[in-house]
Amino acid sequence: MTRRNFLWQYGGGLGGIALAHMSAATHHTPKAKRVVQFFMSGAASQCDSFDYKPMLQKKAGEKWDPGEKVELFQSNPGVVMPCPWEWRQYGQSGKWISGLFPHVATCADDVAFVHSLLSKSNVHGPATFLQSTGFILPGFPSAGSWVSYALGSMNENLPVFVVLPDNRGVPPNGPANWSSGFLPAAHQATSIRVGSANPIHDLFAPEGSFVTASSEMDGLALLEKVNREHLASRTEDSRLDARIKSYEMAARLQLSAPEVLRVDGESDATKKLYGLDDPITEEMGRRCLVARRLLERGVRFVQLWSGADNGFPRRNWDSHEHLAKDHWEMAVAIDKPIAALMKDLKARGLFDDTIVHWTTEFGRMPCSQGSKGRDHNPFGFTNWLAGGGIKGGTSYGATDEWSYKAVDNPCYGYDVHATMLHLLGIDHTRLTYRHNGIDRRLTDVHGNVLREIVA
Amino acid sequence: MVRALLLSTAALFAQSDVNALLRARCAGCHGAAAPGGLNVLDAASVESNAARIVEAVSAGRMPKGGRALGSTELAVVRDGLAAKMWWSLRPLQAAEKGSIDGFIRAELARKNLAPSPEADRRTLLRRVSFDLHGLPPTPEEVRAFENDRAPDAYARVVDRLLASPRYGERWARHWLDVVHYGESHGYDKDKPRDNAWPYRDWVINALNSDMPYTRFVEQQLASDVLHRDDPRAAPALGFLAAGPWDFVGHQELREGTTDKMQTRLLDRDDIVAQTMSTFVSMTAHCARCHNHKFDPIPQIDYYRLQAVFAGVDRADRPYDDDAAVYARRLSLLERKREAQRKLQPLLDKVEFASSPALIEVDDRIRDARSLITHIGEPKTPADAAEKKTLQGRVERDTVLRKQLVDALVGEATYATIAEGQAEVKWITGEINALPKPLHVYAGTSLFDRIGNFRPALEPRPVHLLGRGSVSSPGDLVEAGALSCLPSVRFERASDEGARRAALARWITAKDNVLTWRSIVNRVWHYHFGAGLVDTPSDFGRMGGKPSHPELLDWLAVWFRDHARGSLKELHRAIVMSAAYKQSSANREDAAKIDADNRLLWRMNRGRLDAESVRDAVLQTSGKLDLTMGGPSVRMFWFKNDHSPIYDYARFDPATPGASRRSIYRFIVRSVADPFMDRLDCPDPSMLAPKRSTTLTAIQALALWNNPFMIRMSTELAERAKTVDAAVELAWQRKPSNTERAFFEHHVSKHGLASLARLLFNTNEFLFVD
Repeated sequence: MTRRNFLWQYGGGLGGIALAHMSAATHHTPKAKRVVQFFMSGAASQCDSFDYKPMLQKKAGEKWDPGEKVELFQSNPGVVMPCPWEWRQYGQSGKWISGLFPHVATCADDVAFVHSLLSKSNVHGPATFLQSTGFILPGFPSAGSWVSYALGSMNENLPVFVVLPDNRGVPPNGPANWSSGFLPAAHQATSIRVGSANPIHDLFAPEGSFVTASSEMDGLALLEKVNREHLASRTEDSRLDARIKSYEMAARLQLSAPEVLRVDGESDATKKLYGLDDPITEEMGRRCLVARRLLERGVRFVQLWSGADNGFPRRNWDSHEHLAKDHWEMAVAIDKPIAALMKDLKARGLFDDTIVHWTTEFGRMPCSQGSKGRDHNPFGFTNWLAGGGIKGGTSYGATDEWSYKAVDNPCYGYDVHATMLHLLGIDHTRLTYRHNGIDRRLTDVHGNVLREIVA
Repeated sequence: MVRALLLSTAALFAQSDVNALLRARCAGCHGAAAPGGLNVLDAASVESNAARIVEAVSAGRMPKGGRALGSTELAVVRDGLAAKMWWSLRPLQAAEKGSIDGFIRAELARKNLAPSPEADRRTLLRRVSFDLHGLPPTPEEVRAFENDRAPDAYARVVDRLLASPRYGERWARHWLDVVHYGESHGYDKDKPRDNAWPYRDWVINALNSDMPYTRFVEQQLASDVLHRDDPRAAPALGFLAAGPWDFVGHQELREGTTDKMQTRLLDRDDIVAQTMSTFVSMTAHCARCHNHKFDPIPQIDYYRLQAVFAGVDRADRPYDDDAAVYARRLSLLERKREAQRKLQPLLDKVEFASSPALIEVDDRIRDARSLITHIGEPKTPADAAEKKTLQGRVERDTVLRKQLVDALVGEATYATIAEGQAEVKWITGEINALPKPLHVYAGTSLFDRIGNFRPALEPRPVHLLGRGSVSSPGDLVEAGALSCLPSVRFERASDEGARRAALARWITAKDNVLTWRSIVNRVWHYHFGAGLVDTPSDFGRMGGKPSHPELLDWLAVWFRDHARGSLKELHRAIVMSAAYKQSSANREDAAKIDADNRLLWRMNRGRLDAESVRDAVLQTSGKLDLTMGGPSVRMFWFKNDHSPIYDYARFDPATPGASRRSIYRFIVRSVADPFMDRLDCPDPSMLAPKRSTTLTAIQALALWNNPFMIRMSTELAERAKTVDAAVELAWQRKPSNTERAFFEHHVSKHGLASLARLLFNTNEFLFVD
């Protein structure tokens, strides 16, 4: 077994093996080193946020006729429903953005909007999988696991791939959205429940057990001695040595993880920037601030979720019933923190090699569902990217006059994933893992790099 | 591998001659414009049809009309085509006589390698106990075996292990990996499957009772057809429902929508992929969008396989202990399906009645209902008032709706519906009069509609789909199997069960070379940590080639004919071999020649899998609860919410059953048990013919700190009381004097529990030499 294969098979993930980070093998010169991804669970509306269509205001309340039969998830098409928020132009680029995201809007010149995304499913579960893993089926590795597999660690004392779920709960499909699928478990996400008493599973022994600080220290030292003795007659088996090292790394993680989660030391100005002083933005603000601390310490991929499952009372973006109320409650909690993270990364010189990606599983219809809601729209929705290697102030692709169907440069999550990997120095067609007879890729058999949004 | 191609001299001639012979005798019908796809003038076509050609000429069915081939000609065809075939499709070529060690030693000798000496008694017992039971031996068992100098001491150990029910529990877990068994649906709204476990118990019992492999396959695919008189066989159909299921797509999406069709396509795709990779180690699912890129599987074969399963869905299936009741139930359920087949089109007239006025009223009802849900428990008087208004609106509109529908449907239809419903009601009454049934979550068409999830009253039509897209349907496709191997007759009948039975017969046919190679290799894989073919579920060109082709074929034929499909005989043959019993110690000289140990000059060392770690910890600390079977133990806090919540951190370890073997854990798809996950327990939504072994810091933390490990450390300390006893329980050996000194010192400072924790974390505990 070659050293490289060995690393991928047994380690490489959360401090699997020292030096794994040195072997990051890119296909070309990368423009970015890390990714922070915001996932709007439940389907955030494009036509109420970033995809400006004056027709919706002009024809508000009129019968909606896109000129063909429309097959919706739950309902029949209602009338044209205007966006409940006012649109304004921002920045040099003059990008139209609605009042739903006034803070993100101030970063418009750094952002490339992709307005012509399609989904292969109109159902939350499969569509969320498609955006997170590139497949509409369960069991496939998430983008973060692929990045871990491709690039390994930049800081052996911290995980490569971290997920910060919404404190209201997990999205449709649950943690399977950040599964490492068939990739070795070394590429599993580490889920951190920011703000909870026990943010990382098993980081420390449970309270009230026999474990003391000194038994911990003596125990680890003696364990190493015993394992080294066992190794002495089996020196050819590098797995045994790898296990010994994994305990050294575990001990370092015990030191580094609490430190990175501790935000008290941040300045008041920073805390304010992220909205930690306001109960509405405090939860997401704290997660965004932790994200920055993880990224600046070398974590490759941080995924933040906005929203839990599609249940009632509404706790994600799935606004079938009352969009003005539900979308507002979701957006107002995250708009300022997301903008703060971008600005803070910029101030610290990290923005230029960090990809910021905002996504959701599909969009929402320009017509009303019932009187106040919007149904699913897999035919056209928006993602945006910013930071490392992204051409700011651009808009790629377009939907029709209704924000119903992608008509100009229609594309899929595959293309966004391909672009993301490209910026990280990876050719998405060559990042493969053999499973059950197929050389699997994050992008399945699809994907084109969206050159127009690459700087 | 190269040697496998080196056939007899006659065969070498045959390779050039076979082309000439096929041209002369077959091209008349099977030429360029050939029916059935075979074109003997095209090398690729000959190759992918090779097995069928051999079968047809051997059986004398071909050449049609002409003189039958003589024995020399037959030999030319057989040998010549075998050389053209991919290894896994070639006829099984088994030496008359052979033995595992004979083949292994012959390969070693070819590389000037010698096997390793037999492992010491303790190592051997530890190895075979973990291998056959997934549990360590007790210190007493080790001592007894060390002191038993009878020549058959080891053979008796193997007999004892194979006769124990622990064997079935261990090996069932391997099977559940292969078939991606889970106990919740996966996707959004990951609901628990309360009745999945009878399938798990069926697998355990089938293995413990050493069910012949043919029967083992048949029951999982079609016990309702082939073993109707045996109610114990019913849970085997859980095989068809092992994988994930899209609740929203099946139960909530409306009939006739594109997404509904796609949901069903992907559901059948999962069953096809699972069936073919499990039983014949072929990746048929790679031919959904186009012909298989590497293996001789045309796209139409894939859709023929989809058609095999076009009549089943995944749902709870009733069965009984009593054979007579079960037979009666099956016949009543089938009669009910007949009645519904007549009734359903009429009910659809009512359900899908449509007019502009009706659409309007439906929209109003839907809107009001969703607003009512959104308001939930009213928080303000205004909300309460609005809710009341909306509810009133729904009531009025519902009355209006009924009037509109009635006018459209007409009285005559309603009268016919009433007759049909009366019949269904009568049958349902008869069914309800039977003793209360058991249920298994399984493949079935005999279930009642829930929401928009309705049974297929007859097999759904399957079309060949352009690029695998439901929007590009091509010709209708009949059920069938892989065309690269000899076929069996698939009924054209509307009876979907007959299709599954035919597939089962195709798989278990004596001449299905894939089946027999697949199962012996799979078993070998678990015994040695690597298969003779290192891709147990892929014998295609993207998979591996056998390290010992002659051994593989000999073992396959031996298992099929001599052992009559007895898995216990197969285990016995393998673990009794010298190859299995040899030491795992490294030898520099041999490592230089074969570093990966493909030729088995020593035994492979392995890390315990997740279940074995947990079970070994439980047994070592004396807490293992050996209760068998029944509903799975939910080792999480559960709330049946919109999307159900599974929280492992909030599990109460005092829950009854918390110390049972890991095979009885309730396996959730969307939320993996973090402890097991970190020990490489596979994602239950993925077919897992092999497990990966990672060694990460996060895994070290789980073993070091997880509350279960800490609790069991305390238990082991209480049980052992002394350093020596704790070490012997964990390692099945006494500590050395040096070890004892260090351990005693540690215990004097930190207590025995701290040492127990340490022992559970040692490589000696986690690895098997």
